Amino acid sequence: MLQFIKEGLRDRNGQYFAIVAAVMLVAPLIFWKLDLPFAANAMLLCLMFSIMAMAWNLLEGYTGQLSFGHAVFFGVGAYTTMILMLYYRVTPWVGIFVGGLVAALVGLALGVPLFRLRSHWFALATIAVGEIFKLIFISWDYVGGSAGLQSPIVPEEQKLYYLQYAGSYVYIYLALGLLGLELLIMYPLVKSRIGYYLQAIREDEDAAMSLGINPFKYKMVAMFFSALFTGIGGGIYTVRFRFVDPFAVFDLISVSVYITIAGILGGIYSFIGPIVGSFVFVPISEYVRVYIVSRFPRFYGLHVFVLGVILLAISLLAPEGIMGWLEKKGYLRKREETGEVRKE
Amino acid sequence: MIGLDYVANAVVSGILIGSVYSLVGMGLALIWGIMDVINFAQGDYMMLGAFVTYWAFTLAGVDPLLSVPLSFLVTFALGVLTQRVVIERVLDAPMVSQITATFAVLLMIRYGAEAAFGPYTKRIYVTYADVIYRFGTISLQLPRLIAFFVSLGVAVAFYVFLKTTYTGVALRAVSQNRMAAYLMGINVRKMYWIAFGIGVGISAVGGTLVATFLPIHPEMGGFYALIAFIVVVFGGFGSVFGAYISGIIIGVTESVSALFISPSLKDVVAFLLFIAIILVKPTGLFGTEQR
Repeated sequence: MLQFIKEGLRDRNGQYFAIVAAVMLVAPLIFWKLDLPFAANAMLLCLMFSIMAMAWNLLEGYTGQLSFGHAVFFGVGAYTTMILMLYYRVTPWVGIFVGGLVAALVGLALGVPLFRLRSHWFALATIAVGEIFKLIFISWDYVGGSAGLQSPIVPEEQKLYYLQYAGSYVYIYLALGLLGLELLIMYPLVKSRIGYYLQAIREDEDAAMSLGINPFKYKMVAMFFSALFTGIGGGIYTVRFRFVDPFAVFDLISVSVYITIAGILGGIYSFIGPIVGSFVFVPISEYVRVYIVSRFPRFYGLHVFVLGVILLAISLLAPEGIMGWLEKKGYLRKREETGEVRKE
Repeated sequence: MIGLDYVANAVVSGILIGSVYSLVGMGLALIWGIMDVINFAQGDYMMLGAFVTYWAFTLAGVDPLLSVPLSFLVTFALGVLTQRVVIERVLDAPMVSQITATFAVLLMIRYGAEAAFGPYTKRIYVTYADVIYRFGTISLQLPRLIAFFVSLGVAVAFYVFLKTTYTGVALRAVSQNRMAAYLMGINVRKMYWIAFGIGVGISAVGGTLVATFLPIHPEMGGFYALIAFIVVVFGGFGSVFGAYISGIIIGVTESVSALFISPSLKDVVAFLLFIAIILVKPTGLFGTEQR
């Protein structure tokens, strides 16, 4: 282990990683000491969207399946964690992972019909699936219908069991831990044979098939991990905000499209692109939302408008995203996994 | 047991609201068919049409029916601008750039309008809003009836435009074969401007018509865009007139199914239908055509 860390620190990327990790671990302490709830909340959301955008990117960037339905997995994860906690008194320490697994199973079930579709048909179908889930949860009384579910305030001694803390400070460490777990699973996955199979499917599904790769099987593998971690992101949402309702967690714009923006902005052909994208777009959107929209409710929507401008700029000026752009300009070493930008 | 007169009423009101869905769907189908670009912001241009009507009515007292050409022209101009600034640059880009670019337009229009007009539901009260005609057991609200005839008129005018004018013929030529049309001396770029302008303009007329009998809201486009996708896929991808008929079929299906299942679940039926249609023909409704 120590040997591994020593070797890692000799590598330039390893050094960068260590510095970023250290900053992330110290930042919440600083926010807490200086009492900066806005910064802490923004950082938590950045991490939450990092987890989900990276999961989303396994499907889009690696496999070429553009999904606008990740709100489904987010919502299922959020609801599962909440229901386990509220109805069965299961600790979210377990519930978050169960939520991820349930989301992954939903993902597999959806994958069976949806992976028969290609390119924009897949994207359109995922939008419809997201709307269907929202409508079903609205009219499903067991999960609280359109009013949603709220977790009660627990006594002091059960705070750790139910993960209820004031502010975002503690949750940042939870999210950091889960992001670390995701990196530990995703990185070996995309570097393995499966990662290359997925990219082969992205570049040319028929050619991949003719080389003996079963596209459906590997798309399902990608879907499993993608939905799993998006569901875990939903679990973080539940423990932090203690309230889930179908309009918030199954929302096309503020969940599915936000995840997409994070991925596109950071660069979908880069492993860490979605994390970079999240850390750029979330603070901007949160800043506008908290400091302008909350103070002047009449301008509700301005924060999403700003995201529209960002998304338009990146789509027109640098479709390869921030990481791709930095690389093109020579600021970054060329990644091994970069293929040519896909033309369909 | 649901009486026959309820069903008849549902069918009629489905046809009337369906004629509005048709207009939104036609615009989407035109853009999709000619440029092979999916305009996710289609419903939001419709919302703009509704708000042009609202402001013309509130500020200048213009009757909603007189503002049909106004809302068409305003959105036409915006559509040409969008085509010029955004869509043109992503026409040959990867699919994901096309989709994210039109999604960006969606976010900017929908939430820009929300920030500008306020996140409030608005309503136009015309003097003839409550006029109701009864034919036996069927009752018809005048604004909805007007909407149906205006929609039919727009569709017929558009048909005549496509069949008889030079621009219409050129548009069809571009849609059939871009390169051949270019070689025949058609200004393809200009045709794309016109196509996008007319596509969003027709949807905006739908918005104007809706504004006369339903409340309007800056985020209303989301619902109509989803309906428009169902209409286009159902009517046959890229077929403008299939879209008109299928809009009416979707409207009837929706309002009849609302009699039998809970109203909040009636849209579930529509979305399931949508997924079922694209699954039956996985490569899209035109068989082998693929991008």
